[in-house]
Amino acid sequence: MIVAIAWWLAFAPAPAEAETSSRAIEPAAAASVEAPTDEVPTPTTDTTTAPADDATTPAEPVETVRAKVSAGNKQTKAPYYDPSDITALRSRYRLSEDIPPPRTAKWRCLIADPVCAFNVEVNATSAFAGRFKQGDVRDRTARKWASGRAQYDVWVNIPVLVETLGRQRYTRMTLGPKAGVAFSDTGDTWGNLGIAMRYWLGRGKWAPTIELTSALSFKIARRETQDLGGAEPKYEMHRGPVGIAGDIGFGLGGFGAIVLGGQYDSPLAREDVPDRFRTSASGMLYVGFRGNILWGGPAAAAVMTHGLTQRYGKEPN
Amino acid sequence: MRPSRIALSRSVALASVLAGAGAWAVPAAADAAPGKIGKKDGEYGPFFEDEPVSDTAHASSLQKKDKPPLLSVGKGRFCFLDGSRCKASLLISAGVGAGLRVPASDAGPDMPYSAFNVHGGFVIRPFMWAGREWHPWGLGLVASWSRGTGSVTAQGDSEDQDIAETNRTDAVRVGLLNQFWLMKRPHGLHLDLTVGAVRSEVLTSGYKLWGTHAEVGFGVGGWATLFAGADFLDRDTRLLFGLRAHGIISGPIIAMALAGMAIGGAL
Repeated sequence: MIVAIAWWLAFAPAPAEAETSSRAIEPAAAASVEAPTDEVPTPTTDTTTAPADDATTPAEPVETVRAKVSAGNKQTKAPYYDPSDITALRSRYRLSEDIPPPRTAKWRCLIADPVCAFNVEVNATSAFAGRFKQGDVRDRTARKWASGRAQYDVWVNIPVLVETLGRQRYTRMTLGPKAGVAFSDTGDTWGNLGIAMRYWLGRGKWAPTIELTSALSFKIARRETQDLGGAEPKYEMHRGPVGIAGDIGFGLGGFGAIVLGGQYDSPLAREDVPDRFRTSASGMLYVGFRGNILWGGPAAAAVMTHGLTQRYGKEPN
Repeated sequence: MRPSRIALSRSVALASVLAGAGAWAVPAAADAAPGKIGKKDGEYGPFFEDEPVSDTAHASSLQKKDKPPLLSVGKGRFCFLDGSRCKASLLISAGVGAGLRVPASDAGPDMPYSAFNVHGGFVIRPFMWAGREWHPWGLGLVASWSRGTGSVTAQGDSEDQDIAETNRTDAVRVGLLNQFWLMKRPHGLHLDLTVGAVRSEVLTSGYKLWGTHAEVGFGVGGWATLFAGADFLDRDTRLLFGLRAHGIISGPIIAMALAGMAIGGAL
């Protein structure tokens, strides 16, 4: 039984041929159709038009061609029209023959713009941060201090929602991976790996945007200054469990955005971890400005925030 | 029916079905004609399909239409930024990642592990050098260096525990890269599979040993790659998940980070 089914599947006619027959048209109608130059008309073995009473003489195959959407048109390839067709169409609807050139983005889309599709950008964030760290768990206290935060990110923006106006496409929403590093006082350095979303509220260069990011945040390095018990203020690798970070931004074009965000660093407090390697839960809330570094200003602001925070900010004893 | 007869019947049936299915998969003569844009005989399937023609488009893009790949010479014979239509590409990137350090069960606890790395190499598309206009397979040689968080070992019971640590963990890797492009778009997605060797200090021993390195990457053109990798060394396994970006965009980030650290007196 299985063998029979297999042989039937193997040698049964492909259903695609049936579709070809159904789309064929009669020769008389086909005569007025301009055959494309790059495609050979498809012969068929449709015998429905052959004489039925002549059983001995084999019927000559009737040649048919597929109907072409390009009938009556000079173009044989998609999109089946040329500029003269567009001109004729515009004149038919009494539109000006002059089509204004579309607005284009500068910097080859290294600065985000609704007229860009895929785009990659480098952003720098400078922010004021209110940091906190878990204190004595018996009385539910937390140490809090004011600090700064600088962050440098790569965003890979993939258009996931596109709007079409006339013949122009505009990106409405992008979504993609992002990664970077964040710095705060005491040399605290975190890696940042997550997803960034930007929603455009317009089509202009300076259209307002809403940005949402969420990321894994993980400690990479720290500077053990002498006042914190370090033997010397060396910049050292420093571990920490993976925490989370996220923010919301309200921006103008690809220039920059006011950002409100937060970060939570998970504690490392398992019993099998020796005491001196355990860390407390900590985090920060921050408000600042994030912008594309190609504008210059956001990069300079972030670098200065980074430097000044590391020089003057410190975790309280 | 004896089991061997059943197996034989199933084999015959499967072979027959596959033979029939194979006949269906062969493209029609018209579709395989040499005049078809961007296709040659034998190139059939979703990965070989060109982008459908559309009369709408974005006004700007990173890659201009009908132009050679971005940052390439010789019309894509060599690219400084890997692309779908590059016959050979330079790989150079930097990134960060986080994961887990898993020592042998009697050597110490599992600890969080994070690292930054630089990654470089060279990849070619053999079938495109052999004459095909496009083919998804790329073969390359890559190397990377990473600096990660240190190791912690704890042996003995809680009363008498021998604890040791290192400040950091450096590792050097070399590997063979197999790249599979999933689409023809200039900045399309691709899978990167790397298998190779790693040399790094094992736990807190102070000795560097060779181990095995394996990584799966998911790339967006030559711009960025999301990766999950592992280093398997003697009694010391490291798992890392991260993202690395091309030097064009990671370079400015490194420069800004160093500038900030210098201003802050951390260098």
